[in-house]
Amino acid sequence: MTQTRAVEAWTLRPLERFVAEAGARLTLLMTPAGQVLAQHGFTRAVDVMSAAALGAAIVASSGELATMLRQKQFSALNHQGVEHGIFLGAFDTPRGRLLALVVYGPDSSVGLVQLFFEEFVTELAAAAPAEERGKAVLAADFERELNESLATLFGQ
Amino acid sequence: MTTRFRRALDNVTRVRGVRGAMLVAGDDGLIVAESLMEGVRGNAVAALAASLHKRFRQSMDAGAAGAPHFLHLQGDGGTLIVVPAPDGILVVAVGDPNMNVGLVRLEMLRAAEGLT
Amino acid sequence: MASDIKAMTAELARDPSSLVFLELGEALRRVGQLDAASRVLVSGLEQHPDLIGGRDLYARVLVDKGEYARAAQVWGTVLERDARHVGAHKGLGFVSFRGGDLDGALEHLELALAADPTDQSVISALRTVRDAAQELQAEVAPTDAGEDPLFAGLEGAEQGLLLVDDRGRVLGGRLLDRGGREVSEAVAAYLAGAAQEADRTARMLGLGEWRWIVAEGPEANVYVTPPTPETLLLILRDQSVPSGRLAMLAERAGAVARAWLEGQRL
Repeated sequence: MTQTRAVEAWTLRPLERFVAEAGARLTLLMTPAGQVLAQHGFTRAVDVMSAAALGAAIVASSGELATMLRQKQFSALNHQGVEHGIFLGAFDTPRGRLLALVVYGPDSSVGLVQLFFEEFVTELAAAAPAEERGKAVLAADFERELNESLATLFGQ
Repeated sequence: MTTRFRRALDNVTRVRGVRGAMLVAGDDGLIVAESLMEGVRGNAVAALAASLHKRFRQSMDAGAAGAPHFLHLQGDGGTLIVVPAPDGILVVAVGDPNMNVGLVRLEMLRAAEGLT
Repeated sequence: MASDIKAMTAELARDPSSLVFLELGEALRRVGQLDAASRVLVSGLEQHPDLIGGRDLYARVLVDKGEYARAAQVWGTVLERDARHVGAHKGLGFVSFRGGDLDGALEHLELALAADPTDQSVISALRTVRDAAQELQAEVAPTDAGEDPLFAGLEGAEQGLLLVDDRGRVLGGRLLDRGGREVSEAVAAYLAGAAQEADRTARMLGLGEWRWIVAEGPEANVYVTPPTPETLLLILRDQSVPSGRLAMLAERAGAVARAWLEGQRL
């Protein structure tokens, strides 16, 4: 059974609702650094880590392009494939800036994803705790947190 | 919005009780052109009307009835009508529950033909 | 966990024949490093080919990687060495279930239970598979039963009226296409999703409760309405039947369906 799992509990309900309404096959909610807060549909940790890194890199690259063109940052990108589409959106919450990577199939559409993404962002902004600032991150903590996150995301 | 699109939609919205009409990219559920009264959520109409049409097309294909060329959803507070046009475009109208469906249908079919 | 992995990796580097590869493989699997786990287990099994626990673990890693056919092969080699291996029967039960082979899944899980009647995970898996098998039988039954008396006496009852529940299962009636082919199950499966979309569309666009949908196609017209909140009634007619007449038919068939559903509850 496909599952929705969250490292940060406040993201779970909005994500479950978004996935159900938008008909998303896969969804990753993460920070711009690629730290995953919640996921839906992934069955392998290695895929989550790769998708998070690639998604964060795409947003960072398009952000740089926008800066070069003296444009406002792009808030969403959509890649339409033959079978699947990939939607990548960035938005601000009290927890800081977050990114969502959404993969949808022919039973959904970019219109539906965009429509329910707006609600997803509103619900996350309402549920988010304030951003933690100035917390030192040690390498050992990072590794422990990474392992704990993977265990949470995959129910191990 | 191009003149051709505007003319197609204006004839539909002129019918009494119609709250808005739009052209929608059927596969994407995105707005191509719109003429809506204030308060009508264009992006929601586009996405949901396209999805509804897609799901009914699947049901009717399963029943060997063919892809629908006219779809009418009746709610107790309003009406939604979808008519497919060439190139994957859908002509969509939303209106009051008691709007003149016969006239709206006629104008929507004309609008769809006008897009060829 | 990370320091354990490092220590075990170091031990295996010192002694490639060490049995620590089993523990290391499991630890890597748990943290999602599946390729690394796979490599460790393959080289460990080269040293210890008869270690069936290692083969069982390797098959589980393959399942985590989504390589179900290969996992089934590996569990097959486990059963060649130990025909009562619980892990292999459980694994093959899972792979069969996932592939839609419910009989195969039941067979392996029953063998696993015979080998270890106290294994709660096998008992729970067996329950899941049996429920799925029963549900499948229930879905197939109405088609096998042939004519349904639900709409007897109503116009088009034999080929153009269908009552479906909100999960897409046929409750009564029958649909035939123009060639006389039974299409009830196929239409029902899609209709539930279409009705859910109608419900969401009406709600989100402020159209109130949806009452009915008419869809006109090149071969036939369809009228769909929910006679009760949990069911859908579909009427399929050729294009010569105007939508007003479809609405009248739907009203009559809806009343029959509601009475029948009420009778089922008693």
